[in-house]
Amino acid sequence: MEADDFTLMEQVRRGSPGAFETLVERYQRRLYRLACGYLHNHEDALDAVQEAFVKIYLARQSYRPSAHPFTWASRILANRCIDQIRHRRVRPEQSLDEAQETRPGRGPLPLPSSEESAQTRQERRELRCVLQGAIDTLPPRQREIFMLRHFGEMRLEEIAKALGCALGTVKSSLHRAAAAIRDHLARTDPAFRSPKGESS
Amino acid sequence: MSLLYYGALVPEEEAGLLRHLDSCRSCGLEWDEFRRCLDAATPETVFPREAEVDWSEFARAAVARARAAEAARPATAVAAGWVAVPVPARFALLAAAALVAVLLWNTGLRPGGEPGGAPASPDSGVGGPPLVSLLESAHAMQDRLARRGAARYLRDSRAVLVNLVGPAAPCRKAGGQYDITLEKEKSRQLLRRMNLYEGGLGALEDQRLSTLVRQLESVLMQVAALDDCASARQIHDLREQIETRQILLRIDLVTREMEGRADVV
Repeated sequence: MEADDFTLMEQVRRGSPGAFETLVERYQRRLYRLACGYLHNHEDALDAVQEAFVKIYLARQSYRPSAHPFTWASRILANRCIDQIRHRRVRPEQSLDEAQETRPGRGPLPLPSSEESAQTRQERRELRCVLQGAIDTLPPRQREIFMLRHFGEMRLEEIAKALGCALGTVKSSLHRAAAAIRDHLARTDPAFRSPKGESS
Repeated sequence: MSLLYYGALVPEEEAGLLRHLDSCRSCGLEWDEFRRCLDAATPETVFPREAEVDWSEFARAAVARARAAEAARPATAVAAGWVAVPVPARFALLAAAALVAVLLWNTGLRPGGEPGGAPASPDSGVGGPPLVSLLESAHAMQDRLARRGAARYLRDSRAVLVNLVGPAAPCRKAGGQYDITLEKEKSRQLLRRMNLYEGGLGALEDQRLSTLVRQLESVLMQVAALDDCASARQIHDLREQIETRQILLRIDLVTREMEGRADVV
């Protein structure tokens, strides 16, 4: 049976063989999504996650089981991302990777799958733009809570603990964020308009 | 509805709300629309590049990097000791160090200054230079030293990466294909050196340099964590990273720029 996160973290602290590898495999994708939410850049997000894992490993003895291990890991990651954003503000230079990404035809493009039609791909791209636009319009705290819950799959109590705010604040922020995303999608993408709205 | 969607309602509340949604057509439609919007926000849609990542390789690299960072820890014992010093004492030590640096600077280390302790400029004689100019020259010297140190670090790292990218030496031991003993040892030395420069590099506040140093650190840690005899796959992955991130080109650009700036300061 798979060890739960607390047991796994305890094994990491004790230095059990393979425990840290399991933790990395279990958390890496969720942390990547959170990092993308902060940094909006694939390469930077991957770097931030790797650095967060280095910090997690080095600081494993300071972990206290009062917080869920993912909550603790996500705070380490958030601090890393915030540092990076601050650096960007001091020197807002575009990295070569980023420049490559934003210039059409320069970067390595993902190969389209043969089963997918050009129309489906275009629709998917459009949906991604609309969704990213919707998430980007959220105020920072609402966005953070939404990302932690929707993509980080954290429980609301854990989010409240991680962000140091009341559970009620998390609930209301999540509600506002979800409603704002729904409104944004309904405004910008006809596919998301309710039949109710169309008939009126 | 958002709390229902995210499963954050207590069972009684949830059951009550679901009953209402079943019986009220308008709220039922609203719920369907709400659910459709949030269901659309899947990780595959919002983070399409997540699928491009080889996550098992990423996990291996993260573990190797973490282990290498811990192995390099004794080199940072000095830094840990520094953290243990109380803040006022740190200021006092810094001030003393700056004063010593300025005195050394004014007594012959400055280019063009006369050796043997004679001051280089005539106006820095009897009463000594004003405090502001002392601090400015100390800061300029610190900045110049940090840039020179970083440029040297980047040049040495580049040499290691060029070795990795070039034709590799075959390994004599069984189980591996390429002998990277030298590159591995050099990477370890460079990582130790980077720990010493870290403070100075941070002071430069150069986003491009710090990004490059971070990515370089990641590659060096991976090299340091490999066995003496590496497999073709490991070498291929490292080469791919160096190539994809254009690390060699960026080292050239940043080093040239820093050396240019160092001459201006």
